[in-house]
Amino acid sequence: VRPRPVMAAVPPPSAPDGPEPPPLQYSLLLQHLVGEQRRPRAWDPAALGGIPSPPKSEEQKMVERAMESCAFKAALACVGGFVLGGAFGVFTAGIDTNVGFDPKDPYRTPTAKEVLKDMGQRGISYAKNFAIVGAMFSCTECVVESYRGKSDWKNSVISGCITGGAIGFRAGLKAGVIGCGGFAAFSAAIDYYLR
Amino acid sequence: MTQACHRKCVPPHYKDAELSKGESVCLDRCVAKYLEVHERMGKKLTELSLQDEELLKRVQQGTGTA
Repeated sequence: VRPRPVMAAVPPPSAPDGPEPPPLQYSLLLQHLVGEQRRPRAWDPAALGGIPSPPKSEEQKMVERAMESCAFKAALACVGGFVLGGAFGVFTAGIDTNVGFDPKDPYRTPTAKEVLKDMGQRGISYAKNFAIVGAMFSCTECVVESYRGKSDWKNSVISGCITGGAIGFRAGLKAGVIGCGGFAAFSAAIDYYLR
Repeated sequence: MTQACHRKCVPPHYKDAELSKGESVCLDRCVAKYLEVHERMGKKLTELSLQDEELLKRVQQGTGTA
């Protein structure tokens, strides 16, 4: 008994020793489906998804991509940190009065110019510190999140440790470790509060 | 593909309407891997079917001349 072939759609052998027998229709079909001869199709996401929505234009996609990028988030955190630090510095300058102290006349009230200058300096220095810390934290958090591919509480703990460690490391290894732990705990608390 | 990548990349915490950065990065990678695996499997399948076809031809020629 001749062994029957198991393939589907086999063309009958026309001439055993003549020209090449035609290729299997199965493999032709596969070429068209998943192989070399696939026809390119334009996917319409509005048709593919569940709820039909108007397709986004190229400019909208570009703007959204820019707004989601790590650099933009870091810049935003930097500006936000600057403003917040400035406000904080001006505020604490009003509370902590050690300006215009004249050893010869301890009861002299400082002039308005001295007070304003002190407030400005403190505000600027606090603002710069907050801006740098904020930018570093936001940048590391974004990078860690892109690397892990998940978004949960561990991202802020890891990036808090990196930021605190980097800041404290300049004052020695032990200060770096303490900074890492403290900042990580702080960002974990903030994350817990925000989620 | 949608179901597989959704199961892998989007955990069922629905606090925020937008996809977060981690989730969208994960979806990019998932879709790229899926399509690459799909293409490779397609090529392997065409290779296997060509092998089967040659085997079949030989069998037919063998039984044809016999």
